[in-house]
Amino acid sequence: MRLSERSPLTLGAYALAAILALFELAVLWQGLHPHVSDNYRAYYLDRSTTCLPQPVIGAYTVGTELDFKSGGDDTRELRPCGWDGPAGDGMHSIGETSLLRFELGQPQALTLMLELTGSTLPGPPTQTVVISANDTPIGTVEVTPDQTERFTFAIPADAIGADGTLVVKLDYPDAISPGPRTANTYWRSVKLTAGSLTPAI
Amino acid sequence: MYPASIDRQQDRPTRFILLLPLLFILSGTLIRFLAFRYAQPDNDWTNYFGAMCRWDCGWYVKMAQTGYDPFPVPGRINAGNWAFFPFYPMLVGLIGKLIPIPTIVLASLLSIVTAYAAVVAAWPLLGRNIRAYTLYAAFILSGPLSMYFTTFFTEVMFVLLTTLAFVYLSRSNYLGAAAITALLSATRIVGVFASLAIGVQALMDWRRDTGSWKGWLGGLLSQPRLVLAIFISPLGLFVYIAFLNYWIGDGLAFSHVQRAWGRQVGNPLTYLWTGLTSWPTVPWQLVSNSQILALSAVVGLAMTGVMAWRRQWPAVIFALLAIVIPLAAGLASMMRFMAAMAPITITAATLLARWRWLFIVSLVGLLAGSWFATLAWFGGNVALV
Repeated sequence: MRLSERSPLTLGAYALAAILALFELAVLWQGLHPHVSDNYRAYYLDRSTTCLPQPVIGAYTVGTELDFKSGGDDTRELRPCGWDGPAGDGMHSIGETSLLRFELGQPQALTLMLELTGSTLPGPPTQTVVISANDTPIGTVEVTPDQTERFTFAIPADAIGADGTLVVKLDYPDAISPGPRTANTYWRSVKLTAGSLTPAI
Repeated sequence: MYPASIDRQQDRPTRFILLLPLLFILSGTLIRFLAFRYAQPDNDWTNYFGAMCRWDCGWYVKMAQTGYDPFPVPGRINAGNWAFFPFYPMLVGLIGKLIPIPTIVLASLLSIVTAYAAVVAAWPLLGRNIRAYTLYAAFILSGPLSMYFTTFFTEVMFVLLTTLAFVYLSRSNYLGAAAITALLSATRIVGVFASLAIGVQALMDWRRDTGSWKGWLGGLLSQPRLVLAIFISPLGLFVYIAFLNYWIGDGLAFSHVQRAWGRQVGNPLTYLWTGLTSWPTVPWQLVSNSQILALSAVVGLAMTGVMAWRRQWPAVIFALLAIVIPLAAGLASMMRFMAAMAPITITAATLLARWRWLFIVSLVGLLAGSWFATLAWFGGNVALV
């Protein structure tokens, strides 16, 4: 069967090939122009974050101190992303950002307490942790490797959403790669051992 | 690897060829089962198939049962199962609707049948050489890596389809090769590279028939079967992209989701060199896991070199891309990838069958290796992942 034959079968084969080519081109075009959520785009496509927030309930009673070590409180519903564990020495940060989500019911001025230990992986002498509440910066701390310290931060009422949602973000600009050619989604910085939100005095 | 005969009668398997793999199905099942009893004496013997299902096998079982994850992933993890290509797990899922037995049992039985078919289909590509065929059957069904072909991994379907594609291709049956390649491209991402093998075969045929390269493009485009084959062959991949577009809005999610596994694209040579020079840290260990994985790639490249020396260019282009592209994402799973590269393992079987003494040593090594590798499999050796 050759093009020069110009039989119906020949023309049909070319027509089918053209239809398939058009289908494949259309699919490829769609593939190159994804329609996805901002979170999906930031994590998988732009790679602008290592923390892909997962749906959590965020149920929390103000004033409760949470134990993030293994055998402590069940904190799964407060951790949308950026945490690995719990382990005996706390909840390990994973990636360059971690989130904690609290559903408080209503906005109120609070004091956030975080008990942190620096990673002992070879790296800088301290780990810088930049903390924000619903994208409002509330503080920067230096966490020393293998030393556990408590840090407190004031959260103004207007930093909390009208529905009482509070997302605490911990950014780790000094996060350490645990090995050569390890993706930043697996970098380490701190271990969270305890945390609480109490009414501001 | 040898070309299939144009005369199909010559390639027709004899009764011996059909029966020999059954012997290795028995020996392989027996060795792996005894290794299972040895490694897990407290586990009930009826859990054999479940116990053999490790690493990615668990993903495939879930895919066959519940299909593809939506976004966000219900398990609240970043690793969606879009990374895994659909053809084999969905086939098992579909058959599972008709035969209601536990998924892993059904998949394991189907894998054994598929592996048997892959071995018999390879008969012409093994040069119809009994010794090479015996070694290949032993490797697939009773060898150290036979767990990939007898539990629930896409590798077994990949081997069967690759073998069939090259049988069709060596007979210059472009449409037959394209239909198989369409399924191959829906089985693993590297399957789509068989489309290029079709193009290379067509070029070689043109050169053979005309004696020159003059007018090759027009000459190829004037063959409607070939043109149609070129667009049919990657169809499996494009249908999967279309599905992902519809399902989660990102047709290339199978690639993007690799971020969740921390895959870093880099220089394949750097990955290879780093692997080869990662010396073992445990005193009694002869080679490290990284070295095993890197050596797997080296063997794959060496066999590709043998195919190039034999001027089997369609297989060379397929094998080269199917080695180098995964290597650019690191050494992980490299041994599994190489074990499932039919042109490479078939070529290796033809070389090991060349001398009788080498054939006997290889056969004994394969059967004995099965015991130790299965124990390593149960032990969670990461070189086998």
